[in-house]
Amino acid sequence: MSINLEKLWQLTQPEPFEPNLNQKRAILHTDSPLFLTAGPGSGKTRVLLWRSLNLIVFHDVKPEEIFLSTFTEKAAFQLKEGLRSLLGLVTNLTGKPYDISKMYVGTVHSLCQKLLTDRRFLELGQRSPVPVLKDELGQYFYLSRRKYWQTILEKADFDLDIAQATINQFFNYNSISKHNAVSNCISLFNRFSEECLTPEQILARIQTTPVDDPDTFTNLTKLYDEYLRSLQQSNPPQADFSLIQQYALNFLEQSPHSGNIFKHIIIDEYQDTNTIQERIFFKLASGFKNICVVGDDDQALYRFRGATVENFVQFPSRCQEYLNCSATEIPLNINYRSRHQIVEFYNDFITRQNWRSADGKGFYRLVNKDITAFNDDRTTSVIASTPAKPDLVCEEIALLVRDLINSGKVTDPNQIAFLYPSLKSKQVERMIDALEDVGLKVYAPRARRFLEVEEAMAVFGVYLLIFGKPVRGDFRGADYNDFHQWLNNCQEIAQNLIKEDKALKAFIEEKQEEINTALNDYRILSEVAIAHKWDKTQFYDPHTMKRLLYSARGLSNTAQKNLGNVYFDRLVKQKLETKQPLTLSYVINASTSVDWSVLDLFYRLCIFNHFKEMFDQAETGQDEGPICNMGLISQYLARFTDEYTNIITAQFLEDNRFQLTLFMGFLYSLFRRGETEYEDADDPFPRGRIPFLTVHQSKGLEFPVVILGNPRKDPKLQRVEEIVKPVLDRQGEPLERMAEFDVMRMFYVAVSRAKNLLVIAHFKGPGQKLTFPFNEMLNDRTIARIPDFDPHSLPEAKESNDDLPKNYSYTSDYLLYQRCPRQYMIFRKYGFVASRSQTMFFGSVVHKTIEDLHYLLKAKKGTQNLD
Amino acid sequence: MTNIDDLAIEERIKELFEQNYEMMRLEGGHALSADTKQSALNQVLFYWRKLREVAENVTDTEVILSLPEQITPEGRKYTIEGVVDIIREQDQTTMYDIKTHDSDYVRGNVPEYEKQLNVYAHIWQGLRQQELDQTAIIATSLPVTLREAVRKDDQRYITKEIQRWQPLIDIPFNQEKVAETISEFGEVVDAIESRQFQPPSLEKLKGKLAGKKITFAVQVCRNCDARFSCSAYRRYVKSSSSQADSLLSRFLNDYGSDAEREDFLYANLENIPDIESFDI
Ligand code: SF4
Repeated sequence: MSINLEKLWQLTQPEPFEPNLNQKRAILHTDSPLFLTAGPGSGKTRVLLWRSLNLIVFHDVKPEEIFLSTFTEKAAFQLKEGLRSLLGLVTNLTGKPYDISKMYVGTVHSLCQKLLTDRRFLELGQRSPVPVLKDELGQYFYLSRRKYWQTILEKADFDLDIAQATINQFFNYNSISKHNAVSNCISLFNRFSEECLTPEQILARIQTTPVDDPDTFTNLTKLYDEYLRSLQQSNPPQADFSLIQQYALNFLEQSPHSGNIFKHIIIDEYQDTNTIQERIFFKLASGFKNICVVGDDDQALYRFRGATVENFVQFPSRCQEYLNCSATEIPLNINYRSRHQIVEFYNDFITRQNWRSADGKGFYRLVNKDITAFNDDRTTSVIASTPAKPDLVCEEIALLVRDLINSGKVTDPNQIAFLYPSLKSKQVERMIDALEDVGLKVYAPRARRFLEVEEAMAVFGVYLLIFGKPVRGDFRGADYNDFHQWLNNCQEIAQNLIKEDKALKAFIEEKQEEINTALNDYRILSEVAIAHKWDKTQFYDPHTMKRLLYSARGLSNTAQKNLGNVYFDRLVKQKLETKQPLTLSYVINASTSVDWSVLDLFYRLCIFNHFKEMFDQAETGQDEGPICNMGLISQYLARFTDEYTNIITAQFLEDNRFQLTLFMGFLYSLFRRGETEYEDADDPFPRGRIPFLTVHQSKGLEFPVVILGNPRKDPKLQRVEEIVKPVLDRQGEPLERMAEFDVMRMFYVAVSRAKNLLVIAHFKGPGQKLTFPFNEMLNDRTIARIPDFDPHSLPEAKESNDDLPKNYSYTSDYLLYQRCPRQYMIFRKYGFVASRSQTMFFGSVVHKTIEDLHYLLKAKKGTQNLD
Repeated sequence: MTNIDDLAIEERIKELFEQNYEMMRLEGGHALSADTKQSALNQVLFYWRKLREVAENVTDTEVILSLPEQITPEGRKYTIEGVVDIIREQDQTTMYDIKTHDSDYVRGNVPEYEKQLNVYAHIWQGLRQQELDQTAIIATSLPVTLREAVRKDDQRYITKEIQRWQPLIDIPFNQEKVAETISEFGEVVDAIESRQFQPPSLEKLKGKLAGKKITFAVQVCRNCDARFSCSAYRRYVKSSSSQADSLLSRFLNDYGSDAEREDFLYANLENIPDIESFDI
């Protein structure tokens, strides 16, 4: 059966697809660069979907010849599933099957990792080492290890006594804290990597361009150099999120095939790409020159991750520069999402700013976008609260929300979203209280620290009882005080728990006892060593040492058993035979450590009712909140064992070192970084609750009702911008305008999320202020107010139906569930990290190595055939 | 190929294994104990020694198979996924599924594998529009006797045991049950989506695993970190213990046998970092 695109459009479910003229042009454009400027709600995802389908079905492009980068994994998944389903439709008509499992669809980071193992870029049989990826937290811990931090500071010529103060000063912070210094360095290092600047280049520019405090800048650059070097030289090499891109670019530059693997490069949300990403994309496109970018400069949000909106705004000239050809520009400017007034409101909003460039010759944004609403319903869809003090405004809004829910104009409270520049603010707390006062439930996972959820406090409270609470030192700032308050609260919770549960109390005492025994044994064995003048670093000789250690006075049965059991003997013998004898220190540590890790302890705690109930509730689907948090706790504890150690030796326990490492090292860092609560990527907006989101989180989403809870964000230039500006190749927006531009764009994103109704809180009174141009727009008398608004005038919101098909694996879902549904739930669904089970890891290593072996043999065969 | 080549390949395998191990460990796997790690490496090495004709002829390795647009009995849409290896020769295409299982176990449970491989075969044939001629399991876990020979490091004994080892198990190619398996799969998806996560019955815990002499409770639960909070396991312990009082303390101190303890200590002590370097 012969088919064409039009026919497929008609067959699309649930209703036929009727692309507008420009959408159609974009879908049909198949060669040379394509520049799609896509306003809010302009159907760009659909365009990308159909464009990919067009390439695969009608232009014989293989799925693995397409590179499609999205901003989130979720968007990637949606695209992939959408494409799979459309291709399934084609298969039904033509009988021709399609397999898109090898297509590149994902975030830039994940695609970079994929590139690094893609054998198409390599000569036959070559294998490139793939760096291990460190996430943000891993990067933080890596740098802030005291010994490492001091070593690299010294190598970079910092004066250790004042290094932290100097670094913080450079970032305009008056602080001596290491946490601040490390966080500042991370933001700078990441920026260097994203800008593709090598330490040599930066140093050279510091010489030739005027910069603030050149000495500190120079030392920081050296520090960056040391950081890079240590990551590269570790075995296997490691990389942070920014550097993985650097690896990918280097890899592409070394491969002769880079430009000829992908026939089409498609990049979504292009306004949020950074320099290194731009280079990767153009490198990949250098052969076929088919690069298609989609984006909206007005929605650029990620300057703080090194994104430069100029990459998008100047895309046509970049095509000339990199590919020596021109780009076709197609605007997607019909908005299918929002009602008329909403579109007019944000068009008005964005054009109130003066975007003209300093020389007066052009603009910092693409002007004349002419976004029009498809929806012609001109009734009121933008309203503001009565201008008043925050308490009153929140109350008014809460009542409106209740009316909206009662009126049935939304099908679930999760269709009403509250958006804020940041969720850690007084205004958010007020609003949540006001909603709860009228009996509504909210969902605001980023509003508080993960460590402050009940489950975390109970678990760590018990740990405090077992290991003891760190002593509070002198006042060292607000974070320090807050953290000690948190420790006190945790302890109190745990104390209440043991009042209720005698068995838990006994358990805790037993653990304390084990710790004391280990410490005592450690002292005894160390004394034996001293008495016999043994150095702890010398090798353990069972003939001369075992008996003396074993029969030391006062040694516990546990230690005796550890020293004397047959397995230990066997190990000692094995090591001797393989010429890697154990040291005395090893033997003493091994026999005086407690036989559980922090993760073991966690699982054992779950025997007690308070914790067990959380599992029971999840088993029957009653409540999954607590178990989600428990899963996250297990992940953080596993993190602790990875960063420090799995095994708790007496040596480590001595002098409260373990206690300090766990609480003041590890947990205090999590606390200060403000790590947030568990969020389910598959189900980000649980039913029955009103979601509170940051504007950044709302990127790419839409809601029937949007409430802008705080139309105020004071423009503040990030110091890192000032620092890097003088050493950059390209000069983008001027420093003095950046912050206000960013605020405009952020609010533009916020207001354009609304489909049917946009509500803006209008605070007035002492200390209250509205950000420009809200001050002008809300004080305009024509804006409708909440009391005048009739909820019945609203159209009914449709049930959002983006329930995507999920992937289920035969072995790791189906078979695992059949084996034990509960085990499946805990480890697979809620992501608990197992403490001892090694089966998964075992299987993965074996499979991966067999896969490599197959490639090796295939390559060998290839060369033999050539012979 | 000469013997020198073979040795070179074995060396390469060891290198690749080491790289993969390090990478995966750093990416959040826990360390394996030395013994366990060695036995993982041995699975690859002996796979190569025993089945080199297979290994040398693999045409597509780690192929991701996916079957989209499936609907569960309750109307949910989902996709089935699996991974296999394929050998295509002039007149014959074979699908292999490599498993780190024990070959005797596989032989004792052919129907279980038959279901899986036939679903995979169904997906493959649909996707590639290519007939399959054969399906088989490769069970890479070394038999006890071979392990013993390796432990003794006795070449003759090893050679003999390699010969006796039969890791390749043909699985009957039979598409009749595919629809049935897929519909069972759909039921499981529904159960997962509707949050049905109760543990199995006491009978199942007490029962022996198919093809094995040991019970579910000993083989599966004893290795499950979630057993402490598990009502089913609790019932099992109660019902099989004469002293109900000591239940709790038995629970709490159940860290495994001495051998396991040594394994745990040893796997981790090798990686014990310098305590002085910890940040305080
Ligand atoms: S102990 Fe683990 S494997 Fe056994 S029934 Fe409970 S959850 Fe399942």
